[in-house]
Amino acid sequence: MVYINSMPNDPDRRDLFSGALDLMILHSLRVKPMHGYALAKHIKQASDDLLQIEEGSLYPALQRLLREGLLESEAGISAKGRPTRIYRLTKSGRLRLGWEISSFEKMFTGITRVLAVAKA
Amino acid sequence: MQRLAQLFSRRRRYDDLAVSIREHIAERAEELMEGGMPRAEAEQAARREFGNVGVIEQRSREEWQWLKAESIVADVRFALRQLIKSPGFTATAVVTLALGIAVNSTMFSLVSAFLLPHLPGRDPQNMVVASSVSPDQAFQPDTNPVSPPNYFAWGNDKDVFSEMSAADEYRTGSLSEPGKQPEAVSYAAVTANYFSVFGATPELGRAFVAGEDHTGQDHVVILSHGLWERRYSSDASIVGRMVRLNREDYIVAGVMPAGFRLLGFTPQLWMPLTMSPADLAPDARKNRFLYLFARLAPGVTLKQARAQLQILSQRAQGDFPSTEKRWGASVRMLPDFLIHNFGIGTALAVIMTVVGFVLLIACANVAGLLLTRAVSRQKELAIRMSLGASRVRVVRQLLTEGVVIALVGGGVGLFLTYIGVRLVRAGLNFNPAISAVPVGLDTNVLLFATVVSVVSAILSSVAPALKASRAAINTDLKSETRGGTSGRAHNRLRVVLVGGEIALGLFLLIGSCLLIRGVYLIDHRQLGFKHDHLLTAGLVLDQARYVDSTKQSQFVRSLLVQLQQIPGVEQAAVASDLPSSGPGSVPIHIRAQQETKSNEQSTAADAVVTENYFRTAGVPILRGRAFTKHDDLGAPRVVVVNQEFVHKYFQDRDAVGKQIQLDITDTPPVWSEIVGVVGNVRNYSEDPNMLPQVYEAYLQRPVASFSLLLRSNVEPNSLSSAVRQVVAQLDAELPMLRVMSMDDVINDQRNGNPLFERLLATFAILALILAAIGIYGLIAYSVGQRTREIGIRLALGAKGSDISRMILIEGLKVAVVGSSVGFVMALPLPKVFNSIFQSQVLFGAPAIYPIVLAVMLCVGFCATLGPARRATRVDPTAALRND
Repeated sequence: MVYINSMPNDPDRRDLFSGALDLMILHSLRVKPMHGYALAKHIKQASDDLLQIEEGSLYPALQRLLREGLLESEAGISAKGRPTRIYRLTKSGRLRLGWEISSFEKMFTGITRVLAVAKA
Repeated sequence: MQRLAQLFSRRRRYDDLAVSIREHIAERAEELMEGGMPRAEAEQAARREFGNVGVIEQRSREEWQWLKAESIVADVRFALRQLIKSPGFTATAVVTLALGIAVNSTMFSLVSAFLLPHLPGRDPQNMVVASSVSPDQAFQPDTNPVSPPNYFAWGNDKDVFSEMSAADEYRTGSLSEPGKQPEAVSYAAVTANYFSVFGATPELGRAFVAGEDHTGQDHVVILSHGLWERRYSSDASIVGRMVRLNREDYIVAGVMPAGFRLLGFTPQLWMPLTMSPADLAPDARKNRFLYLFARLAPGVTLKQARAQLQILSQRAQGDFPSTEKRWGASVRMLPDFLIHNFGIGTALAVIMTVVGFVLLIACANVAGLLLTRAVSRQKELAIRMSLGASRVRVVRQLLTEGVVIALVGGGVGLFLTYIGVRLVRAGLNFNPAISAVPVGLDTNVLLFATVVSVVSAILSSVAPALKASRAAINTDLKSETRGGTSGRAHNRLRVVLVGGEIALGLFLLIGSCLLIRGVYLIDHRQLGFKHDHLLTAGLVLDQARYVDSTKQSQFVRSLLVQLQQIPGVEQAAVASDLPSSGPGSVPIHIRAQQETKSNEQSTAADAVVTENYFRTAGVPILRGRAFTKHDDLGAPRVVVVNQEFVHKYFQDRDAVGKQIQLDITDTPPVWSEIVGVVGNVRNYSEDPNMLPQVYEAYLQRPVASFSLLLRSNVEPNSLSSAVRQVVAQLDAELPMLRVMSMDDVINDQRNGNPLFERLLATFAILALILAAIGIYGLIAYSVGQRTREIGIRLALGAKGSDISRMILIEGLKVAVVGSSVGFVMALPLPKVFNSIFQSQVLFGAPAIYPIVLAVMLCVGFCATLGPARRATRVDPTAALRND
């Protein structure tokens, strides 16, 4: 689950939208293959702490993307020099990311337009 | 393939996952430590931030799991461990379900055998049977056989039937090869196309060929598998050899396979049916003895066939009013006809309903047990849920337990079914037709048992699982059952379940008692003669040796003389029909009496008897005289009638001296004088009404097929070998049909009624026991839950008797409410039974209701006694100290 960090203890905090986590994982890994903790930290930092990834959903999501063949994993060394798994985008992962981004943009444009109408 | 590859690489995946998560937490902790936090604190904080490692790992792994199969296996393993840990609970639940499943599957084996029979030949489901519809109010009036002229008329209608064969199913004769014991056999005479219409081929030799049903070419037989195996030792070279049937030689053309069997029709061999021109004469229309097996012409529906036969039978009614008046015609599909003709459907429907209820009660019991268990496991469930198990997960776990219990119960039940089927099979021997039907654990039964197990699993575990998981969510881990009576809310569902069990149990008990009483009354009515100490046997004198009636009379006369000399025999007689064994009915005319209603032909049951018959059978002579040895062919014709005859046709006025005439096939009409009136004998032991009956003197009208009756002063069956010897001395080739006591004959007529009663009683008692276990379980559990409350009450000065009264009242409340519901449910039962068994007032018995109600309440009371006494022994200090 990805949620907005302003209300960390709100029990009713909502998921951004379905697929948001996948989108961000795929995009982050396109920039650079990473291990789990780095990925979570990357998303948090890249959003200027606006977004927070719940670890509980990060690992199941990574496993799902692995299963769907969008990611692959390899043995690697963490920043602290310990063995861990590095996740890397596959070719089909790249294709999926393009598709996810374009549909996200469509949705975003749609929402922006609706909000603009409401303001006027 | 990819899935399979994943299955093998999974272990590595899980290890990778664990490594990633470990590193995640370690890195976070180190980061926190860099910020100045002590190690222990940092590690704890990192873990807390990450969340529940177990759950996250589990959920991540589930992404890889194929159809969640792995977690189901895990659930089953866990369920088995849990069940093994509480053997008492498991045994009770498994045995309860096993019994419920076993009685259902056992009874279903009968349904499978009798209502879903395996029929022989090609496409038997699409064959039809054409039959006559009798105008009489008789048992199954629409399955009567058909006369030869109608067979030709209907069979020639090629627009309706593409092919039709005819069978005279119920013939008896003798097999008497030299060197072998003569043996009576039942056989069928069939048209040459009979087997080809069925599309059945013999396992040895050939079927009949065209032309073999013409006189002169008709000395061929086809043996049934059973006869071939038993009498001819499965000798494959029998084909082409001779057998001796009715003292004539027949060539064996073939042997039919064991599977060629038509439910109630069980001939041991088949011979060709020959028809003479006389069989086509108008007079032959009253001889209805042929069963017509046919295939409909392409495109013809059953409805169209029925309509066409209606037209034909109406035409016949117009053309031959004397024989065809009010007779109709009917067509049924073959399976439908056989099942209907067998007449076991109603009894099976009643039994299946009863066992269905028993299963419901069993399921309610198991549901109650599961509920109790779930409530007592609430803490465990609450812990599991707070550790992150979802509600679905917990429900699935509890359901898995229910399913495991039901499947184990189903397995044990299947074993019990195997035993039950053997017991029932052993009880199903009351007539040859029943014995011939194979009953066993066929695929239908196995399938049924499986479905029943799954349905019971669902019935008994869904409600408890949902209820328990909901309760677990709402349970605060810390404050469980501190409040004394908190168990009550959880108990509501159980109270409803047990109340329902008691209602169903009472309903079943009342229903069974009504049925058993009704059937018992039917079976134990006065028959009108003394059926104890009577030995009976059947004889059929064949045409070959006993050419005419003089020969037949001579044989009977010398037979009776010899039989009288057997020590132990008091009286001996011969009769065309045994008493209460359904003598045929004949049209009668009464001299000097206008036939009142032109529509209604006067009829009477007709039996031919020797002079000693009334004394032998113990039928009282009320007026006039019995027959004497002087009532022979030279003397004027005389008859004896029964009381009902006098009542119906002479309005109870004196009938002795009146003249009547009987319409009997193949005998010239002659006026006979009534010389005596005897007591009524029931036409069938189960017949609710008395019918008018006429007795003729054997010497005046000998018949070839008759029964012996011997009154003995010893156990009748002990005379059978002496009787066989006497007959063998007179004619070594003459076989005897069923040598048995009259009591056994009557028992056979009751067709399984005693078995039906025993089964009903067993199931009703089973229901009672299950309901008692249900109420016991409920109260025992409730006492356990209320230990604290009872302790408080005792500490505050309540006496033991107050406590036990409180518990007893709690139990009785459930029993009373459940019983009331069951009582009301059972009120319309007599009406229902009377309509489905088509009898008058036999099933109404108001006295049964309060008796059964009292028994039920008594059982409920007794089941509550134990827990109530245990409640008084609660030690207040122990109960209050701690949970």
